[in-house]
Amino acid sequence: MNLAQNKAASQSQKLMVFVLSMALYGLATLFTELIPSFQVGIVEFSVEYFLFIPLTLAMLFDPMSVALGAATGELVFSEIMLGQFGGLGELEKFITVTIGVYVAGRMVKDPKNLKMVGLAAITGTALQLMMGTVVDILKVQLAVEDFEAVAGLPASVFVTEGFAFLNDLLFSGILFCLLPTLFLVPKLNGKIEPLLGMRPRSEQTLSGLDLKLVLGCVAGFAAACLAELLATSGTALIEWEADWAGSQTVLWIGIVVASIVAVLIFQIMRRQAGKERA
Amino acid sequence: MKWKQKLSENILDKLSIDFLKNQVLKNAYGNTDTLIAKLDPRILIAWYLFFGIVPWFVNDVAFLLTCFLLVMITTWLAHVAGLVMFIFVLGVFSQTGYLLIVSLFFGGNASTILPLLILTLKVTTCSLASITVFSGLDPDRLSNGLMWYGCPERLSFSIAYAYRILPMLMEEFQNVLLSYRLRGNPPDHSGWMGKIRYLIYQVRIIMQAFYPLILNTAKRSRTTVEALEMRGYRYAASNRSVKKMKLSALKVTHLDSVFLALSLLWMVGGSLLMTWI
Repeated sequence: MNLAQNKAASQSQKLMVFVLSMALYGLATLFTELIPSFQVGIVEFSVEYFLFIPLTLAMLFDPMSVALGAATGELVFSEIMLGQFGGLGELEKFITVTIGVYVAGRMVKDPKNLKMVGLAAITGTALQLMMGTVVDILKVQLAVEDFEAVAGLPASVFVTEGFAFLNDLLFSGILFCLLPTLFLVPKLNGKIEPLLGMRPRSEQTLSGLDLKLVLGCVAGFAAACLAELLATSGTALIEWEADWAGSQTVLWIGIVVASIVAVLIFQIMRRQAGKERA
Repeated sequence: MKWKQKLSENILDKLSIDFLKNQVLKNAYGNTDTLIAKLDPRILIAWYLFFGIVPWFVNDVAFLLTCFLLVMITTWLAHVAGLVMFIFVLGVFSQTGYLLIVSLFFGGNASTILPLLILTLKVTTCSLASITVFSGLDPDRLSNGLMWYGCPERLSFSIAYAYRILPMLMEEFQNVLLSYRLRGNPPDHSGWMGKIRYLIYQVRIIMQAFYPLILNTAKRSRTTVEALEMRGYRYAASNRSVKKMKLSALKVTHLDSVFLALSLLWMVGGSLLMTWI
């Protein structure tokens, strides 16, 4: 066993970790989607987060594979299988879960150090929740036109979202992310790695927070912000075009033309596909 | 008193893991004979892209209502499982209802309701369109359709794999939970404190049940990946001719054109009619 061999997991081992994290987190999110939450007063008690599963796995295996697997698992099991795929909103969830889990996984150098495990677990959860909150607020602002003009809406959105964030972090975050991770990581460490044919994580197999990680996170945040900005300017563009079109009839003619063009494009695509096959 | 007990028994019965499992499996596998399932996945995905994105950017109530009615019809055609619909309705109304109450609290008035209704309409339309497509389609056809559009091979593999592995995983989780329950000694759940203690006990068991499940799934995923590797999965995934072979089963038929044409006619006709009214 030379050092180079321990350092990085092989491609097939990465695929194993991906499949493992996908199946487990997918199953967990499926349950949370099906189990209704219950509210006591204004405080919502929901088993919202089984995030402890990818958090635990990310601290033991290659964090990137675990993060991608968890995000894919959530997408496939709880959204696509139940038919609750929400389009653009799912992309945001995908990115936030990936970043949160990845950062938490990279923070832990030694799974035996429980202080670091706990800190990483709560940091990852907070990161994921915070990004989700920001995106949620922006989404309502985009969907409701004249957001500021509607009486009471801006304040209520900020308050509900802010409250939901704190509530999730303090309740779900501690009970369903921090404590189970602290329970599972030491128990699984050294037991689960041999099952996938790997060595347990130690100081040599992973360097902790380094420059590359910081750069990657900055790039990820930039990508998320860019996506938001694009979405914002996108609405402005469409609004402006509608203004220019002016009357309703022109708009409808536009829609009809667009649909005819779409059908034509499909025909051409089909023909192209047919040619390729022939 | 008696009917109350019966009702709570009935509800508890409905919430058992077996029931959840059946509903999910029915949703995933149970409807290959519907009209929606017979359509070409590529056409349906394109159809979904329209109804999943466009309503977000349009504020015209007539257009939104027409969209909503159309996706309602297609959802009905897809024979979606009852539980899925129930969760969907609960989710939409609890979310916007909560927002409404809080905005009234902050000095909103009746004028707050209209934008919220439009928001609800948008959310509902997009979600129903996605329920139609992703719930009505066979998983294999769905993943083939996604692959045709150039989605990463990982994603379509994940979908196909998820549908195969889910029944096994659910069964295993149930077995682990049962064995924990058999061996465990649940606290006395009489009285208010007892109920809370019992709930905490239940949640703790669910958390602990993941420990054996993680180990077993690790073994299983190693087997899966080794079996895949033996058949050259990672090379086949990036090979063009393999992809072509896989996708040759997809065909756009007469039915698809009729579906698209009818949707278009509905949208244009319905919107015009509503604006005139």
